[in-house]
Amino acid sequence: MIKFRSCLALTAALLMACTAADDDENETIAFELPTAFPSTYTPMPSEKTLITNAVMIDGTGEPTEANSLLIADGRISAIGVDLTADDATTMDAGGRFVTPGIIDIHSHLGNYPTPSVNAHGDGNEVTSPITSEVYAEHGVWPQDPGFDEALQGGVTTLHILPGSANLFGGRGVTLRNMPSRTVQGMKFPDAPYTLKMACGENPKRVYGSRGGPGSRMGNVAGYRKNWIKAAEYKKKVEDGDEPTRDLQLETLAGVLNGDILIQMHCYRADEMAQIIDLSKEFGYKITTFHHAVEAYKIGDLLAENDTCAAMWADWYGFKMESYDGILENVPFVHAAGACAMIHSDDDKNIQRLNQEVAKAWANGNRAGLDISKEEAWTWLSTNPAKALGILDQTGTLEVGKRADVLVWNGDPFSTFSRPDQVYMDGALMFDRETGLKPQSDFRLGTEIAR
Amino acid sequence: MKHLFLASAATLLTATSAFAQDMFLDNATILSSDGSQRTADIQMRGGVIAAMGAELTATDGATVMSNMWVSPPLVTAVSTLGIVDIGGESATNDTSANTDLASASLRAADSFNPREVHIANARRRGVLYGVIVQNPAGDTIFGGTGMVASLDGGDASILDDAALVHIALGESGARRAGGSRAAAMAQLRGALEDARRDFRTQDEGDVLRRRDARTLRDVLAGRMPLMISASRASDLNAIINLKSDFPSIDMIVVGAEEAHLVAAELASAGIKIVIDPQENLPDTFDSVNASLDNVLAVDEAGVDYAIVGLSSFRTIKAGGLSQHAGNAVGNGLSRESAFEAITGTPARWFGIDLGDMDVGSPATLVVWDGDPLEATSAPLAMYQDGNALSLDSRMTALRDRYNPTTDDERPHKYR
Repeated sequence: MIKFRSCLALTAALLMACTAADDDENETIAFELPTAFPSTYTPMPSEKTLITNAVMIDGTGEPTEANSLLIADGRISAIGVDLTADDATTMDAGGRFVTPGIIDIHSHLGNYPTPSVNAHGDGNEVTSPITSEVYAEHGVWPQDPGFDEALQGGVTTLHILPGSANLFGGRGVTLRNMPSRTVQGMKFPDAPYTLKMACGENPKRVYGSRGGPGSRMGNVAGYRKNWIKAAEYKKKVEDGDEPTRDLQLETLAGVLNGDILIQMHCYRADEMAQIIDLSKEFGYKITTFHHAVEAYKIGDLLAENDTCAAMWADWYGFKMESYDGILENVPFVHAAGACAMIHSDDDKNIQRLNQEVAKAWANGNRAGLDISKEEAWTWLSTNPAKALGILDQTGTLEVGKRADVLVWNGDPFSTFSRPDQVYMDGALMFDRETGLKPQSDFRLGTEIAR
Repeated sequence: MKHLFLASAATLLTATSAFAQDMFLDNATILSSDGSQRTADIQMRGGVIAAMGAELTATDGATVMSNMWVSPPLVTAVSTLGIVDIGGESATNDTSANTDLASASLRAADSFNPREVHIANARRRGVLYGVIVQNPAGDTIFGGTGMVASLDGGDASILDDAALVHIALGESGARRAGGSRAAAMAQLRGALEDARRDFRTQDEGDVLRRRDARTLRDVLAGRMPLMISASRASDLNAIINLKSDFPSIDMIVVGAEEAHLVAAELASAGIKIVIDPQENLPDTFDSVNASLDNVLAVDEAGVDYAIVGLSSFRTIKAGGLSQHAGNAVGNGLSRESAFEAITGTPARWFGIDLGDMDVGSPATLVVWDGDPLEATSAPLAMYQDGNALSLDSRMTALRDRYNPTTDDERPHKYR
């Protein structure tokens, strides 16, 4: 084990060969995911800032008395009542709402960017139902104007996923919503990779006349065949057999190893239940079901298995597996004790996820639940951070975390409210009052250019 | 407190007799179809607005609802309600047809199903009138003849079975017409010339068959509007030019993302537009200058406009109409203008009677539990000509079956 770790400095290609020849026959070597395409994310310069006089929703799900927040070195260094700091720039929130930055766990900004010309369709590798070897980040165009608009809606972190054509669609990537020339400049440092998988109608529709799968049966058989291969591959590595590096199986082995989180497109309740059993057969965990239009039917099952559901507030009916959508899906899943969250899957919706949460929250309470705004806020930042494995870094306003902070011009549960200021890592990235905002290269030279 | 009100509203709605229960709306905030706002008490008896004013008292047995909002029902100026069950299942989708037999004369009214689930789901969110529009398919720019429906769910809910003819210009029209905007305009001009032709056989038109040309005559004569999907400023200018050649045509442009670049010209040409105030991205090269300020600019220039959610148009989410108008307010539009754009304006265009909210009038109104322009608000009751309409739908049935607050221990399928 020790010897193996010492080899990590070598290139990934050499890594598989880097097993100790003199190991005992029974000793296993831990499977370690090779790394590549490292993050070059660097926060914008920030000042020591004290936000005072705020009405705070801190993302913990509980009400807070705190009305001030100190940002130092890009991190939240203190939060409390009437804090003072002589050496900090004071930002008087003037009674405005202050919240964590919003996190969207399901976006195709960059890999299905605008303008949505044919040349920009980089979100689905529609050449085989098994493409766990592809990485969403290799299809992300950082000049998508949608990133800039999402920032103005308060989105500071977002997760870009491959599309849902394939059983195994490829790796997802978590990005800071940092205006950058490169994707590497946006990659959330040390955020775990995810694997996009898809249930249901899409894979069987896309491949039904192209060699399969052609049915939900074929979908499940396809998952199982490949998990078997992945388990074998992982075992070979652990046994020191030095298999030829296989990008497809490497990703799957990373899931079995617990390093890569499963983000699975799945609408129907009965199908999610099947997939939970599948994960038990092969000993991995489903972190989140995405879209999960019928999650409200199995909230108990999701809670039992510690699996999250990322949902829309009110989309339904556009395909058969979305026919049973209800306006109370998110609050019903929350009420069952499961981890619920909002997601956009859309370049317009991502600009107002707070409204989507407000709608779902109001509909849940109208149906007899008693959910506070503080609890409902967890659907916007806390639970997405948990499901992306970055809750220790962001998602709530707590000491030590990245200072991803929104200052709103009104109650974030109102359709009329907008973020006035967006801070990322303590740096002011958007300011409605001064007009500070990023602008994509694509927008230059137009009549609406800044 | 809110739940008490809800319980009484639910009782009211399950009543089969239309005006079984009288209502007293204490201190109601009343929005009118011109967007104006006032506060008053309202006595509703037998589905009629019996009294309105300050300091009224509830009549015996009336359900009292305090501090509610009251408005005319919402009108969606573009939708596919009633002509598609599931967008992705072509057998259930009558929003377009690729046929050589007919184009402009394809009637949405022949496909309309008042029992389609989305109609009740839209009604539940305050939308009671819909302009229903088919889209072009194949090599024609014509989507067919649109209609106007009441979304009450009844068999007699078609209000106008020939309310408009829809065409697509811009990238979509260009693609269908053979590959260029010039081809799309040639098809349109040829079709309008065909509308003036005396046909001896059914297929001697340059572009249209006889039946399609006859449909277009009503457009040419201004008896029904030509609804044109277009976005780019240059396309809007082409439409303005067309209007000067055919001044009798009543034109409604849908999309119009770049209208802010030609707003004054659209206003002076008298061209109406239907816009989605959330469209701010260059979805295609048709809308490179898409901006949240579009709605502000056309309002300022005096363009006659309605607001819709254009994503709703594509995926049946008409329910979000009020949220789209609310977002326009969040971006700087006046409340009055935003509300008129989802009620009075489209109603005026298509001859829909939204009622006048006066004493003695049969009630056509929605009672909301909050500001209709807030996404957190929802209707508690809806009346049309004095009749209480159900706000239940397949969605609410699913909600009730799976509601985590239920005491019902039976298996779900027995609930």
